Amino acid sequence: MASFDGLCRFAYNRFVRHLVPRISLRSALIDRQLPNGGWNYGQASAQADLEPTCLALVALRRDSSPAHARGLQFLLDTQNPNGSWPAFQGDDQEGSGLTPLAVTALASGGIMFPAVERTLEWLLDMKGKESHWLWKWKFRTSDTHVRFDPDKYGWPWMPGTCSWVIPTAFAVIAMKQAFVCCKPGKVALRIRRGTEMLLDRACPEGGWNAGNGVVYGVPMAAHLDATAAALLALHGEKVDPIIRASLEWLEDSFVACSAPWSLAWSLLALDAYDRPIGDLAGRLSRLADPSMIEDSATLATVIIALDCPAQGNPFKVLA
Amino acid sequence: MTRSNQLAGSMGLAAGAATSLPFLVTKYDWDRRPPRSRVAILHADEYSERLERDLMNGLRLFNLDVRGKTVLLKPNLVDFSPAAEINTHPLLVTAAAQCFRQLGAASVTIAEGPGHQRDTELVLRESGFRALLDEQGIPFVDLNRDELAKSKLRANYTGLGHLWLPRTVLQADFVVSMPKVKTHHWSGVTLSMKNMFGVVPGAKYGWPKNILHWRGIESSIVDICATVPVHFVIADGIVAMEGNGPLAGTSLALGKVVLSNDPVAADATCARLMGLAPERIAHIRETAKFLGNAAPELIDQLAHPVTLPEIPFRTVPEFEYLRVR
Repeated sequence: MASFDGLCRFAYNRFVRHLVPRISLRSALIDRQLPNGGWNYGQASAQADLEPTCLALVALRRDSSPAHARGLQFLLDTQNPNGSWPAFQGDDQEGSGLTPLAVTALASGGIMFPAVERTLEWLLDMKGKESHWLWKWKFRTSDTHVRFDPDKYGWPWMPGTCSWVIPTAFAVIAMKQAFVCCKPGKVALRIRRGTEMLLDRACPEGGWNAGNGVVYGVPMAAHLDATAAALLALHGEKVDPIIRASLEWLEDSFVACSAPWSLAWSLLALDAYDRPIGDLAGRLSRLADPSMIEDSATLATVIIALDCPAQGNPFKVLA
Repeated sequence: MTRSNQLAGSMGLAAGAATSLPFLVTKYDWDRRPPRSRVAILHADEYSERLERDLMNGLRLFNLDVRGKTVLLKPNLVDFSPAAEINTHPLLVTAAAQCFRQLGAASVTIAEGPGHQRDTELVLRESGFRALLDEQGIPFVDLNRDELAKSKLRANYTGLGHLWLPRTVLQADFVVSMPKVKTHHWSGVTLSMKNMFGVVPGAKYGWPKNILHWRGIESSIVDICATVPVHFVIADGIVAMEGNGPLAGTSLALGKVVLSNDPVAADATCARLMGLAPERIAHIRETAKFLGNAAPELIDQLAHPVTLPEIPFRTVPEFEYLRVR
């Protein structure tokens, strides 16, 4: 009788407490898919956005539902002629800084070459404006209030602007996913520059924010999601004191956080570095009520994070 | 005068000249300045439940008719910092929401698109907004992730020609800019007009909206404010910020809430309350040519008069020249 009780408790813990809520999260995400196959950030919008679409596709990558296939087709159909992706449906066609997320989404769906060949070319061409000699000179001589080394550049949010942490982190991840074993010289160089840029823009007390570590001599505060993205991009690189300090900062800081987006990204980063995630997963599970998460990108990221112990971490990359 | 003072003075002159350069040629479509503008300065020493009553008394001075209108309140929500007051206080914003409801607005929405922090929900929770919004049933829209429409700019100092802007802002009948009164290390001050940077969506332009920096912060402020009408201003100067704002400055009790039906008049008045010369602030000077009134003789002063502080707000060295001595 005792063993029957134990079996019931096991079944309850395994399936009812953990699996059922995740099934409801996935159903909620599928329900939010737009008729064209994409996803939007907020349900009030009829406009599909790149980020929630890519994150939803990663979240549903093991799902055999038609939603995943329709989403992949939507993504492929909306690619810009230059290989990049628009930030949202109807956007101008210069390309979004979140284009690398499309590579991750396609890779997670088993689609790589030739679909992303032009994307990788676009990514290789795209660089922060500070990489140009004229702006390097400006940032070295007159515009010195933000502390950074313009020799270490990554990817911008938009063409013609500086490198920032999030687009650089996602670009490094996408390039490492696209070239798992041998990397052509240009790719290896951009990954190296990107990782150097991330290490250069870290906050003095560990972690990253948008990309301004020190402004007017004042150390700026880090953000959980940017820190997590940078750590994921740096996974597999030589362990650096900045990486160690940032992991510690992340572990200390998520404790006070009650926002699902930041917690989900923190979980993914800590999982990649084999840090304990039990408490974090428990807290995230308790917050994972789809009726309370308006933003579909957040809902998708929560699913990816909660699924990662069982389904693997799609943002974990090797050097 | 010491050598360092001379150097600071020359740097200030150079910086002032540099910020004026984009405005040598006017690039706006038409002059829409009202004949006169109204500004009310309210005294408030602390953030408390009393704010709603005081604010309502202040709003009544303007005889606003918002009955049946969709009202959008745009506070300044940058990030959360336990060390300094960097955001418009949630008690002031929710007090404003309640006042506009009482004045008969069809709906009141709070909306913002933080410039650096991507996790808007985190900012709402940590800064105390989320609890108040839920308690009072006030909807919030994340402007970084709203549906977008392509909008032709009605001034073109940036050369951008158009911006993608959130539908929630474009469709609102009555937009209220609710800045925190702060100095700013790139634009001198951040008041009701600089606050409108928050309507530019991160989903399109990134975090931060770096294209606006490259096209000139002052020019971008002018273009955005020429395009997105600000119908009213409620500026939070109860606790303001001086020094290295908008994030790393020092909190300073100013004890004022500034209301106005003209963002240019509001910002010029706030600058005077900070001990800064509005005519030296490039975006105020330029918008005073076609968007609103900065000159005191064109402003009807309601409630309390403008009083200059004994010591002007501290700024970063590049904006020392703004301080009135």
